[in-house]
Amino acid sequence: MAKTYDCLFKLLLIGDSGVGKTSILFRFSEDAFNISFISTIGIDFKIRTIDLDGKKVKLQIWDTAGQERFRTITTAYYRGSMGIMLVYDVTNEKSFENIKNWIRNIEENASADVEKMILGNKCDLDDKRQVSKERGEQLAIDYQIKFVETSAKDSLNVEYAFYTLARDIKAKMEKKQEASNPPGARSGAHVLRASDQQRKPPSWLSRCSLL
Amino acid sequence: MCVIRLRTGWCTARGEPLSAAEREAVAAVVRRAEQLDELEARRVGRLVARLEGMRRSAQGPAPRACLLCGETSRLLAPLRTCSICRNSACPKCVIDTPPHRSPIYSREQYMCNLCAETREMWKKSGAWFYKSLPKYILPERKVTGRYNDTELARSLQVRQEAGNSSNECKTDSEPGSPLSIHAPSFSRQPSNTDSRKSISSQDVHHEWSETDILTHGVSGLSLHRTESITQRSIAGLKRTGSKGSAYSLRSIRKEVPKPQPEKPTIPDSGFGTLEIKLAYDNATSSLAVTVLRARGLIGMDMTGLSDPFCRLEILPREGTYSNRLRTKTVHKTKNPEFNETVHFFGITESDLAAKSLEIVLFDDDRYGCDEMGSATVSLRDCAKAPTQLRLALSGASGNEPTGPRVLLALCYNTKKRALVVTICRAAELPPQDSNGYSDPFVKLHLDPDPYHKKHKTSIKWRNLNPVWNEEFLFETRPTELSRQNLTLTFWDKDYGKPNDFLGSLVLGASSKGRRLKHWMDCIKFPDHRHEQWHALTDTQHL
Repeated sequence: MAKTYDCLFKLLLIGDSGVGKTSILFRFSEDAFNISFISTIGIDFKIRTIDLDGKKVKLQIWDTAGQERFRTITTAYYRGSMGIMLVYDVTNEKSFENIKNWIRNIEENASADVEKMILGNKCDLDDKRQVSKERGEQLAIDYQIKFVETSAKDSLNVEYAFYTLARDIKAKMEKKQEASNPPGARSGAHVLRASDQQRKPPSWLSRCSLL
Repeated sequence: MCVIRLRTGWCTARGEPLSAAEREAVAAVVRRAEQLDELEARRVGRLVARLEGMRRSAQGPAPRACLLCGETSRLLAPLRTCSICRNSACPKCVIDTPPHRSPIYSREQYMCNLCAETREMWKKSGAWFYKSLPKYILPERKVTGRYNDTELARSLQVRQEAGNSSNECKTDSEPGSPLSIHAPSFSRQPSNTDSRKSISSQDVHHEWSETDILTHGVSGLSLHRTESITQRSIAGLKRTGSKGSAYSLRSIRKEVPKPQPEKPTIPDSGFGTLEIKLAYDNATSSLAVTVLRARGLIGMDMTGLSDPFCRLEILPREGTYSNRLRTKTVHKTKNPEFNETVHFFGITESDLAAKSLEIVLFDDDRYGCDEMGSATVSLRDCAKAPTQLRLALSGASGNEPTGPRVLLALCYNTKKRALVVTICRAAELPPQDSNGYSDPFVKLHLDPDPYHKKHKTSIKWRNLNPVWNEEFLFETRPTELSRQNLTLTFWDKDYGKPNDFLGSLVLGASSKGRRLKHWMDCIKFPDHRHEQWHALTDTQHL
């Protein structure tokens, strides 16, 4: 059963150029780190299957280019993704401020149910830090998004971040499932009577147009 | 400047266009993603097929018998009511759902296996997120009953020849190929169709897990079990069946690569091929394109056939002048013989070097046309001598329609016994009033409808992208639904003169392509909302 899985979650990494999106993904998918900076061309993706409460979840993680010139390509991938990681660089003030822009970008382009998470990357570089952890946390509270500081280089919290996001998506899935079923699923025998009554009157009069 | 852009990524000025190498890199990623999407579509297809198999083998709702196995109520095992579909099922065919948080209704809840499975399918396929079933490819025809190795070999070979070789090879070459791993786990059994009634709970569970393994593991060749057999015989069969099948599969795998298809292979992504002839005439500076035939097109309507025609265009366009030609439609076929020549005039030799010909196949339909595949060919080659080409068609570009469109949600509610149509929103409607806007509203009716019910949405004033989110009920039965059509017409409200027509949409069993799929999904999976965008057509048909 090596190749089968229960669900496929599509995740997306966005953030300014050079904040370490590709490194985070590289750390998560291959557990490795590359010091040199190679700008991503347009888009790329990696696959990793994780085990979540006994369910095999395949993660297809899209890595996007932060550069503006690829924006049209990258935004096309917002809609299909179930979870989005917003990445900023703790040693780069500008990238932190731009998180707001990225969130706006998500609101415009992504599905409304998308799960979000903010990552402050490069937290190993404490001497060059420009954005404190508290500010990151405050931003996350403002937007009611989960937040974690990571380091792709030291492999800090990277696994945790992806697992948390995947778990949130899974929780949402279970919740959705309950809600999507007709109300009978929630309120037992009471509804049986109600629905029986509903069925009886001839349909001529039930001119329901607006629910 | 460059540094700033690199550091921030939020430069307002758009960067330079992509270079050829960059385009190639992106295209490579997209191709990889498409392969993955296809695997995913096959997986979803297997889930759908499995659920359909279960539904087929279910006994159907009856007042005092189990929905699934037909068992009648007994003293020690009273029938339970499924809290979702409200059908009764015997204790062996229901599962306990976790008690709900509400303290008022703390009594036990049951869910019949069918509903549980539907729920599971909805989850696993990702439909919960996309609000309708994602694209899926059903597994190929199942073979039930006795199965021998020659048949297996033949079916393998057929698959190979069917042109699916590209993705087939991919799965095979990867380590841990499903074929090699799961071969020992499938069992054979004699066909015995009348034994369904005696499914006991253990059998049911066993059957599922077995089917699960089969459908997951031996994807394409799926031996699908519909009959029940006792647990003991499963074990026995497993033991006897395993060695032989494992061996035979392995031997077949070795043989398969040898017989090469005699024709030069072209990468086929499952959308069929097209044969054309190009001839350029210097004297009249005209290009004659003969569309000969197409083979193996995708089926678009209920019967799996299509009414294809080709639209040809020389790209890139010059100005607003569109150089677009089309062939006649060939009806009810997947292998049309067009044998038609169209001429493009005013093509210079320099055009030949720079431009290309795009051929898009459409399915002709009274209610608009659906794209079935497309191919692009560079004109450079035909400059000197006439050339005959065989092109592989690639899939329809972009799933979401553009232009005037509507987001529609369908849901068949089994409790109300009604089709719930939600008109969510529309986009890019054509302006009809002098102020550059329209005042749109939608009329909808089901046809034929014994109740002759017609509905209308509210009017959204001065709006080309209206959001309605209005729900309408049509009482009908699922069996009727497959004969009915839902017609939506979009109008611009005008006082003092007749309303202007904005567009229309017909969904139903006689529609095609994605509209047909949406309709069938709604019938197949009741009590779930299926949301989809549809393009509007400007033809008015009442």
